[in-house]
Amino acid sequence: MSLFKPTFSVLRRCVALNVSIRTSESRSIKRWVAPTLKELYRRREKVGPEPEKPRSSYLEWNYEAEVFAFGKRLGEEFDRDILKKALIQKEYANIQEIKAKETGQNLPTITDNYELIPEGDGIISSYVMTELSKKYPEDIAKAVTNYLTSEEMLSYIASHIGLKDLILTNEFPVANSTLCNTFKAVVAALKQSQNLAQAEKFIHDFVLSQLNGKNVYEIWDPKEPYKYLTRLLHQRGIKEIEPRLCNQSASNTVLACFQVGLYSNRELLGIGWGESVHIAKDTAALDAIQRVYKNYTTQLENK
Amino acid sequence: MSALKRVQQWATFARVWHIYDASWQNPFKSAELLKKYLMGLHKPIYHPMNDCGDHVIVINSGDIALPGDEWKRRVYFHHTGYPGGATWTLAWELHSKDPTMVLRKAVYNSMDGNLQRRYTMERLHLFPDANVPTNLLKNVSNQIQQLKAKPKRLDHYSENQVKQFPKIFDYPKDYILK
Repeated sequence: MSLFKPTFSVLRRCVALNVSIRTSESRSIKRWVAPTLKELYRRREKVGPEPEKPRSSYLEWNYEAEVFAFGKRLGEEFDRDILKKALIQKEYANIQEIKAKETGQNLPTITDNYELIPEGDGIISSYVMTELSKKYPEDIAKAVTNYLTSEEMLSYIASHIGLKDLILTNEFPVANSTLCNTFKAVVAALKQSQNLAQAEKFIHDFVLSQLNGKNVYEIWDPKEPYKYLTRLLHQRGIKEIEPRLCNQSASNTVLACFQVGLYSNRELLGIGWGESVHIAKDTAALDAIQRVYKNYTTQLENK
Repeated sequence: MSALKRVQQWATFARVWHIYDASWQNPFKSAELLKKYLMGLHKPIYHPMNDCGDHVIVINSGDIALPGDEWKRRVYFHHTGYPGGATWTLAWELHSKDPTMVLRKAVYNSMDGNLQRRYTMERLHLFPDANVPTNLLKNVSNQIQQLKAKPKRLDHYSENQVKQFPKIFDYPKDYILK
C-alpha cells in the first residue's frame, strides 16, 4: 500500500480542491477523476491479491491470551503447559532448538506433541467405536468410525474450533495432517489435564456430533449388498430369498424403471428400484439390510 | 446421496406408459381423461414446471363415437395464411382423411396453450387400429379404463344366443317382420 501513498495524497488534495470548486460554480465531476480511479484499479489488479498471512504475524497477536481463550471458549479446563505442548509440532521444536544452538542461547526445554498424538488417536477411535457399537452392528460402526476419525474430518473439526491459528508449525498454510495430529494431541492433553471421562465428553461434543443430519447408510456402503444380505440372513436362519419383479415401466426406453421385491416365505424383506433389474435387486437388498438392522438395539436388550 | 435415495428419485420420476382403447368412446370426454395422464396431473408430485407426464398409447382411434349428429355438424377450420385460404372441413371428412386427427385435436384443445403443450402432445401415441409396434407395446404397464364399456353389437352374438335371450312377448305367428 505504501506504493500508492503519494498518489492517494494527491488524489485527496485534488478531491478537496474539487469540492471547493463545486460549491462555487461547477457541478460536474472532473474529467480526470474516472481515468485516475481506473488507473489505480488497474495497478491494484496488476499487483494481485495480498498473500495470505498467518494470524500470528499481525501486530496485536497475543499467543498467551489466545491459548488461554481456546480452553475457555470450549468450556474446558486445560493445564496451560500441557496444552501448549500439544500445540507444538516436532519439526517446529527441532528448528527452534537448532536456532537456539546457533545463536548460543541456553536451551529452553521445548517439548513437542509427538507422544500425545498416538495417545489421543487411541482415545478418539476407541471411544467413537464403543459409542457407535451401542447403536449399530460392527460393520457399520467400523465404517462410521473410519469416517469420523479420518484425517479430513478431524482436520475439519480442528480448523473450526480455532486450532489453525494456534498451532506452532513451520508450514503455512497448515496442512490437514498437522491439523488432524494436533486435534488428537489436544484430546490427549485434555485427558492429562483432567481425566479420561472429560476427554470422552469432548469427543462426544465435537466428533460424534458431526453425525448430525447425516445418514449412516450413506457413509456405510456395502460393495455387494445382495451377497451381504444372504450372509446376514443365513446367520438369522433364513436360508432362501426369492427376488420378484413387482413392477416395471417404460422397460424398452432409457428411462426404464424396475421394482424388485425380496421375499422369503411369502414375507417382504425389502423393496428396491433401479434402471435395470440388477440394480433394483441390489437396492432391494440394501433396503432389506436396513430393515434387518432397524431394531438392532432392541435385539441387544432382548439378549 | 445414498444408493437407496437415488433410486427412490428415479422411481418417483419414472415415466409410466398407459394404453387406452378409444373404440366407441366420446373423443372430447376421452381427451379430458387422457390429458391428466399426459400432463401428470394424477401424480402427487405434479407441478406446472415439473416434467412428470406419462406416455399414453391410444388404439382404435378410427372407431371413436361422436355424440349426436356431431359428425355432420362439427367443423374444423383451417387457414393457409393466403387470401382465400380458409377451409372448413366437417368432422366426418377429416376422419376419413386421417382417423387419428379428431382425437388428436380434441386432446390438443383440451389443454391450455402454453409452451409445454406441444411437448406433452409428443407423449401421445395414436393408432387408428390395434396394430401397435411391439417395441412400444413392451413399455406399457397400465391400461386406462374406458369411459363407457364398449357394447356388443347384435350381429356379433351367435344365433343361438339371440334365440335364447328372454323376450317380453312373442310375435304372433302370422306377423311379418320388416
